Amino acid sequence: MLKIWSMKKDQAAAEKKKPKVTAAHIRLQKDMGELQLDRNTTMSFPDPKDRLNFVVAYRPPTGIYRGGEFKFTFAVSQNYPHEAPKVLCTQKIYHPNIDTEGHVCLNILREDWKPVLNIKSIIFGLQMLFLAPNPEDPLNKEAAEHMFNNRGDFEMAVSRTMNGGFLHNIHYDNVHYRD
Amino acid sequence: MAQTPNQRPFGSASSLVSLCNIFIMKVKIKDWKAVAGWRWDVPDDDVCGICRAPFDACCPSCKIPGDDCPLIWGECTHVFHMHCLLKWLGTESSQQQCPMDRRPWVTAS
Ligand SMILES: [Zn+2]
Ligand SMILES: [Zn+2]
Ligand SMILES: [Zn+2]
Repeated sequence: MLKIWSMKKDQAAAEKKKPKVTAAHIRLQKDMGELQLDRNTTMSFPDPKDRLNFVVAYRPPTGIYRGGEFKFTFAVSQNYPHEAPKVLCTQKIYHPNIDTEGHVCLNILREDWKPVLNIKSIIFGLQMLFLAPNPEDPLNKEAAEHMFNNRGDFEMAVSRTMNGGFLHNIHYDNVHYRD
Repeated sequence: MAQTPNQRPFGSASSLVSLCNIFIMKVKIKDWKAVAGWRWDVPDDDVCGICRAPFDACCPSCKIPGDDCPLIWGECTHVFHMHCLLKWLGTESSQQQCPMDRRPWVTAS
């Protein structure tokens, strides 16, 4: 009898320890179910028990950022999808729409977020930033002006910074990947 | 002001989005199945766009289907679980706009 009791107690304790499945979890799970990543994009969970925090890595197949792998942390809050996930680039890169702190200028992550959007929408938006960087909506003003004023020189600066190294006294991360 | 929802997929004007749209038209990458499904303004008929649960099931805040979890229609014809929509309209970022088209939400009577 006693044994059964203590077993039940353990079970109850285990139940309590299990992360609660919230509305945000349920919705995120649906997002993941619908997500078909292309072969240039991967997703990983640094803490497999924590489904609300993950990393998306993208290797642009074309364009001036080709050859790099760009990593973003996604932090999904319990208010998801009423609140946009917080997305940060973990590398220091030279990009008109991403500042050197990793903040990303993507309208759907800010003022244009709406709860019918999903993780797929954000990943698509991030991919676009690398395929079509947009100097008219800058977060790194210097990079944007550079891109605007001297496209060729800007592209050289991008490939130089992608190798890791300094540009105007700022050290950038080597973003190249090995297969 | 007379824009239809389809002309403004992202809400307020953004050159990035127009760039995106141009890009989609220009490039056909067969792998990008996800891209083919990239639509903002076409509501899925069977599921609530906010919680993605079917309309014949209740919203995530309710437990039992058949609970008091009604649907709500906007004048824009978009439909959601009432609880899901009210939660969205309760956030500051909603600006009282429809989650699909970002037009001012007016409940259809
Ligand atoms: Zn719903
Ligand atoms: Zn409900
Ligand atoms: Zn609407």
